[in-house]
Amino acid sequence: MASNSTLVRGGAMPAVAAPAYSTRLPALFNSGLYQSTLGALVSNKTTRMVLLAAVPIVWIVMMHIGPIYQMLKISLLSNYPIQHGRAPTFTFANYAIFFSEPLYFMPLIRSFVYATSATAVTLLVVYPVAYYVAKIVQPDRRSKALLLLLVPFWAGELIGTFSIIMLLANRGALNVFLRDIGMIDRPIPLLYTPFSLGFGLVYLISLYMLLPLYSAIDKIPKHLLDAAADLGAGPFTRFRRIVLPLSRDGIVSGCSLVFLTSIGVFATPMLLGGPTTVLFPETISGFFHGASDKWPVGAAFAMIMLVSALTTAAIFMRIVGGKSTRLM
Amino acid sequence: MRTMLADAPRTALTMAYWGFVLYLFLPLTLMMAMSFKNAAFIAFPIGDWTFDWYLKVMQDKPFLEACAYSVLVAGLTTLAATVIGVWIAMLIATTEGRRGAVLFALACLPAVVPGMISAISLRIFISTIDMPTGTAAIVLGHTVHAVPFVVVMALTRLRSMPANLVDAARDLGADSVVAFFRVTLPYLGPAIGGGMIFCILLSIDDFVRTFFLGGYRPTLPMLIFAKVQGGMSPEINAMATLVLLVTGAVGLYAEYYTRRSRSR
Repeated sequence: MASNSTLVRGGAMPAVAAPAYSTRLPALFNSGLYQSTLGALVSNKTTRMVLLAAVPIVWIVMMHIGPIYQMLKISLLSNYPIQHGRAPTFTFANYAIFFSEPLYFMPLIRSFVYATSATAVTLLVVYPVAYYVAKIVQPDRRSKALLLLLVPFWAGELIGTFSIIMLLANRGALNVFLRDIGMIDRPIPLLYTPFSLGFGLVYLISLYMLLPLYSAIDKIPKHLLDAAADLGAGPFTRFRRIVLPLSRDGIVSGCSLVFLTSIGVFATPMLLGGPTTVLFPETISGFFHGASDKWPVGAAFAMIMLVSALTTAAIFMRIVGGKSTRLM
Repeated sequence: MRTMLADAPRTALTMAYWGFVLYLFLPLTLMMAMSFKNAAFIAFPIGDWTFDWYLKVMQDKPFLEACAYSVLVAGLTTLAATVIGVWIAMLIATTEGRRGAVLFALACLPAVVPGMISAISLRIFISTIDMPTGTAAIVLGHTVHAVPFVVVMALTRLRSMPANLVDAARDLGADSVVAFFRVTLPYLGPAIGGGMIFCILLSIDDFVRTFFLGGYRPTLPMLIFAKVQGGMSPEINAMATLVLLVTGAVGLYAEYYTRRSRSR
């Protein structure tokens, strides 16, 4: 240890070695202040582990688990915020409210229908695209072909949603085009319908399907496909017997990510949907506007959504995916 | 005839790809084109073209303030998320077996919690610790969302790092902190750069967390949301086009940056 610190301090180093570094860090590490504080701490194995682990563990417990825990806690309280003279009691009443009223549980069912259908449609639409980029495009042009698909997603949720309005509005591009070629006399109401909402969801989430699928298909060795072709397997057989099973991990993680993302989308349904397409996030948000006395009910609703969404994703991963499947 | 049949799947896949590209680009192109319409309402055909909306938007104080505020939030988020994310990745990389797997799963938790739930739980959380809504709360919310992505990127790079690099540094007398700053951190460079740009894009794009954690100062997505709900004019198109061009440039630079450093 003694020889180590001599070297770090640079006292015994030949003079030529010092100017090789251009950063100011070495000076800091060689300073007596560093040696007596941080340097001393990391020379001991226990304090070194504490230094490494303290911030990550505090952050994960406080910020990754803390909010969910607080939400669970408040969902079980009779009133919040805690007022003077009115001590909150432990109750399941906030959860019972959910089942009491179709106005409350219908949006959750609707959210599940939209998220599931959007996931299925996205898988069907994106799979051929991912396969094309991973296996048909020449390797040197592959990253450009993938980049072309990534660019639109940098627009983000709000701008993407707004762009869909340009396409589907009554005086939007599609209706005006159909009118000009004489197919319709009056605009078809596309916007603020289930169609526009589904269209927008698929548009915004397909990236989460594209990347896992692409990396899974990319890993399938080309010679497996060539061998199958030599043995007389047609394109359909090759797809069913080789490509589909070997891209299972990508399908599972892509579908799970898309499902969990689309069920939690808040702005898009409010801008693209209509009165018949109120989804659960909008229902939940109603409890958080204005005074905070409805928070326990909102927290209970959010817990119901979180648990049901994660359970659905977990069951799906267990059934379709193998043991090795991971989400990220 | 036979070759035509053999090429049929390839042709279909090519068409699927280009069809998908068209599907992705068409709405954005229409949105950008509409920003040049010389009228106070949004409707096709565009007819009369003008550049006036851009001149108007460039002098629009709320828009410029929202831009500055979004950049501020994104900058603070990126700093915080990068430090915490790399720190967590370092811990996971040295934790083996089941404990490491649990740690990794917990570190990724905010990435799989649906956005709405994440926003609500954070809103409740800041109220239980008596933190007011506003800039600090937004940055906290965005950071929670961004950390998992930094962790995954940094961890991927850490796992490809030859273990003997740090061992060599230790043999030469560096302690763990020196070895981290002089060896590990420079090696992580490209992953951190990529992660930081990803954080910026995540933060600039975020609506739902900002909506529940924000005060009265709107970020860009909040401003656009309010304008879309309040009645549309090509002014929004000009704003959105400008934002799109900037985020597009940032994204393209990120691609260029990560590719260049990967090939090195």
